[in-house]
Amino acid sequence: MSPRWQALIRLLGVQAAWTYERMAGIGVGHAAAPLLRELYRERPAEARRAAVARSAAYFNSHPYLAGVAVGAVVHAEREGLAGPVITRFRVALSGPLGALGDQLIWTGEVPALMGLALATVPLVGWWAVLLVLVVHNTLRVRLTLWGLDLGLREGVHVGAALQQSWLPRAATEAQRLAAFAVGLGVPMAAAWLLDSESPAGVRATLAAALVGVVLLFAPWTRTRITGLRFGLTLLVLVLLLVVTGGDR
Amino acid sequence: MSLEAAALVAWGTFVAVDLVTVPQGLFSRPLVAATVAGWLAGDVSAGLLAGAALEFYALEVLPIGAARYPDWGPAAVGGGMAAAWAPAGLELGLAGLVAMPLAILGGWTLHVHRRRNAQSVVGRMARVDAGDARAIWELQRNGLVRDAGRGLVLSVAALGAAATISELRWADFPRATMLSWAVLAGGLAAAVSGAIRSAGAGNRRRWLAVGLATGLVAVLLR
Repeated sequence: MSPRWQALIRLLGVQAAWTYERMAGIGVGHAAAPLLRELYRERPAEARRAAVARSAAYFNSHPYLAGVAVGAVVHAEREGLAGPVITRFRVALSGPLGALGDQLIWTGEVPALMGLALATVPLVGWWAVLLVLVVHNTLRVRLTLWGLDLGLREGVHVGAALQQSWLPRAATEAQRLAAFAVGLGVPMAAAWLLDSESPAGVRATLAAALVGVVLLFAPWTRTRITGLRFGLTLLVLVLLLVVTGGDR
Repeated sequence: MSLEAAALVAWGTFVAVDLVTVPQGLFSRPLVAATVAGWLAGDVSAGLLAGAALEFYALEVLPIGAARYPDWGPAAVGGGMAAAWAPAGLELGLAGLVAMPLAILGGWTLHVHRRRNAQSVVGRMARVDAGDARAIWELQRNGLVRDAGRGLVLSVAALGAAATISELRWADFPRATMLSWAVLAGGLAAAVSGAIRSAGAGNRRRWLAVGLATGLVAVLLR
């Protein structure tokens, strides 16, 4: 298997040794190792070890875009840039790659796919789930490989190349699609889930949900209450009511 | 342990690893994890119902960097099992009883897992800083093994909780369907507030409003 493909496979597990201190640094070093091994095959072992150590230092970005940094750093090592320059360049990439990836994936593609899945589950059942997995994983592997190749091609100019690429625009569009898809999916899935409930059940559920939304936005509760905490509290209260017979 | 139980624990372990370590391919989303768990437990439709309800809660979560968030993977697997084994009408309620506390517990184990990773890195710091690629590989391997162990423990807990809760004499509590209302109400509150927060201000909020309006019209036209 070529070093490029080895790096791609390793990038799928880039957060395996994630820590609060080095974040994804170790994973990035692991992903870069096959490319560095090939690059330094005929150079002094000390130089290779120094490059490996640099590649595993602190690094943080969105995991799907870590390949951009891996490729760019390997390119910079190939060009023979000084170690401190490469380290500074690597750290400088962290913020933009993290922000762009979070916009594209966590607040874009993922909620968009899940919203569309929730909208279509009442129509096509579990096929919607299968479709989510196929679409997401195809995009994820293609994005990771694209990022790795972009970094390997552009080196220290990868920041400008990223800005001129399709990625920033795709991130904006993905966030809009996510907002629309979640808006579409929530009422459709809720109606499907409430289908078998009595009118009283539907009214009680919607009323309790409204109370939850108010609590999640009210200035005196919004920092302490999450949807999960609200739901769990409600569930425990209802359980007590049901078990003690207080509902009769 | 029966083959069904072993398959459910293996699936729960896989989805836990998916969230944190590899392949990070959305297998840990409640809609996916619970549906497959329902299928393995003998009722894919119940798993799908539970997954959709729990997915509402996950829509609120942004799994960004060092943020603390619930681990919905093994929790949703437990929810899918509980839904599949639940008496009719109690699928969502029992799924919530199993999955919601487990998601919080799972989030806490994520934090512990990261601390253990940090200890592991400190133990090999000199070798990593000397450019020893094998030390880096060991850290990755150990992280994966620890995460799989975390997932295994959570999955066994999910299996135990789902089996215990579904065995209770729910027929003695005729109004137990109210549990499903609570799970769904909390989920709706989470999804709506998460969507409004994620949309921020301006253009995306308009797209959210258009989506909501379209969804409501589609519901009314059914």
